[in-house]
Amino acid sequence: MHMRFDVVVVGAGPAGAAAAYAAASGGLKVLLVERGRGAGSKQVYGGKVYSHYLEEALGDLKGAPIERWVGKERLSIVDDAGRTATLEYEGGSTRAFTAHLTKLAAWLVDRAASAGAVFVDEVRVDSLRRDPSGRFSGVEAGGELVEADVIIDAEGVNRLLLERAGLVERASTRDLALGVKEVVRIGEKEVEERFGLDKGEGLSWILVGGVTGGLPGGAFVYTNKDTVSLGLVLYVDAAARAIEEPVHSMIEKLRTHPALHRYWADGDVVEYAAKLTPESGYRYMPRRLVADGLMVAGDAAGMLLNLGYTFRGVDYAVYSGYMAGRAAIAARDRGGPTEENLRELYEEPLRRSRPFRDLWRLRGVERAMEGGDRYFRRYPALMGAALRSMFELGESTPSIYEALRGAAEESGISIIGALVDALMMARSI
Amino acid sequence: MSETAGLQRIRVEDLLQRDSWDVDPRPHIRLNAEKCAGCPTKPCTRMCPAGCYVEAGGSIVFSYEGCLECGTCRVVCPMEAIEWDYPVSGRGIQYRTA
Repeated sequence: MHMRFDVVVVGAGPAGAAAAYAAASGGLKVLLVERGRGAGSKQVYGGKVYSHYLEEALGDLKGAPIERWVGKERLSIVDDAGRTATLEYEGGSTRAFTAHLTKLAAWLVDRAASAGAVFVDEVRVDSLRRDPSGRFSGVEAGGELVEADVIIDAEGVNRLLLERAGLVERASTRDLALGVKEVVRIGEKEVEERFGLDKGEGLSWILVGGVTGGLPGGAFVYTNKDTVSLGLVLYVDAAARAIEEPVHSMIEKLRTHPALHRYWADGDVVEYAAKLTPESGYRYMPRRLVADGLMVAGDAAGMLLNLGYTFRGVDYAVYSGYMAGRAAIAARDRGGPTEENLRELYEEPLRRSRPFRDLWRLRGVERAMEGGDRYFRRYPALMGAALRSMFELGESTPSIYEALRGAAEESGISIIGALVDALMMARSI
Repeated sequence: MSETAGLQRIRVEDLLQRDSWDVDPRPHIRLNAEKCAGCPTKPCTRMCPAGCYVEAGGSIVFSYEGCLECGTCRVVCPMEAIEWDYPVSGRGIQYRTA
């Protein structure tokens, strides 16, 4: 069987679906290939999406499977003893929603199909093909070849195809984080009552410290309509060296955590999922995002921002995919998708874009967070001890300074060192 | 009241039962036993979120059936002993609410 398209998009996640939508909207003949059964069946993420770039790419979010608009943000530092300090933000306007990516990706694929893209599922692409001149000319799946003027590789974080094509090295554990999550059904009323939410309002909650046993990474809790998504993110390199119990028992420890389990007590665990993610998108980015006849988008392109207290993956994926789709259209009108054209029409505009510049600008945060032990174990310990002295009063009443000094002595941390770290972190931001 | 109530931890075998599956009889992961045997640290036993790699009598017993398709084993294996690809034909894990 011989098939030929203007564009073949590999992977129907947020990046691939947005790429197919953009390219098909411009009149190109687009094939969107997905390895899973139906759209969305292999999609995993934490649980929150910023809407700005989705609205920009798609025009609107009509019919999007939004669970809740996030109206409450929480950030907690937990020490090894379970003492918790929480910062809560509410009363602002909402910019993000919770959703199941399985459903959001399916909705994006519907939009791509409505724009004219051909969607095929249950097809695992085995390799990217080049013609004798070295130009990428199609994809091979199960021994069948589909030819295309341009390939948009949105294969995700596991870059099997790019590795086989020799365009990227085998990923290093230092550049990746592992996310695991459970979805627990507790009921709509319970979601709102237990988390103090208005009707339809959502919560986004990031926790660091004791929740990962002091390992670099953190925990997250997102509320959906009648379920809660809770999970852990662990930096793979540090975890592989220092983890003491299996990841699956760590997430169960989180679910049964004495300070947390009441939020989803009596709930039903309806799903358990795992995904690798770029820990630092900027570092995970391939040296080049284009080749002759090829563009890379989404996780595969390192389009994910990790700030420790929030993450931007899905919206950046949609943004990069959309730009790749638009570039495919512009390239056609400019003599074809040569490397030079794609660099000018996709890579360079992407590198000048706000998301990319933020990835670059904020890369220091990611590096600082690899300082590991300090941020994820010792500072939480310092905080726990200081707040205990401030709030658990008996015979004497310490000043804040005395509480801090006592806590610093107890946890073996110099206050000056902590201040220097705080300054370094502030500077890198 | 389900068994998830209270503080009882769920074993990984039971966690995986909460998911939907269409397991391919053809394995999508292959382990090079020779390379694997020389591994001093065996991070796969702790890092695989599905508990697919279990140490028994000094060597790894592995099963691909409960694979969540994250790819972690492939990158953490210091021996590069794991040959890993996605399942074909839409088989494997079928996520619904992730």
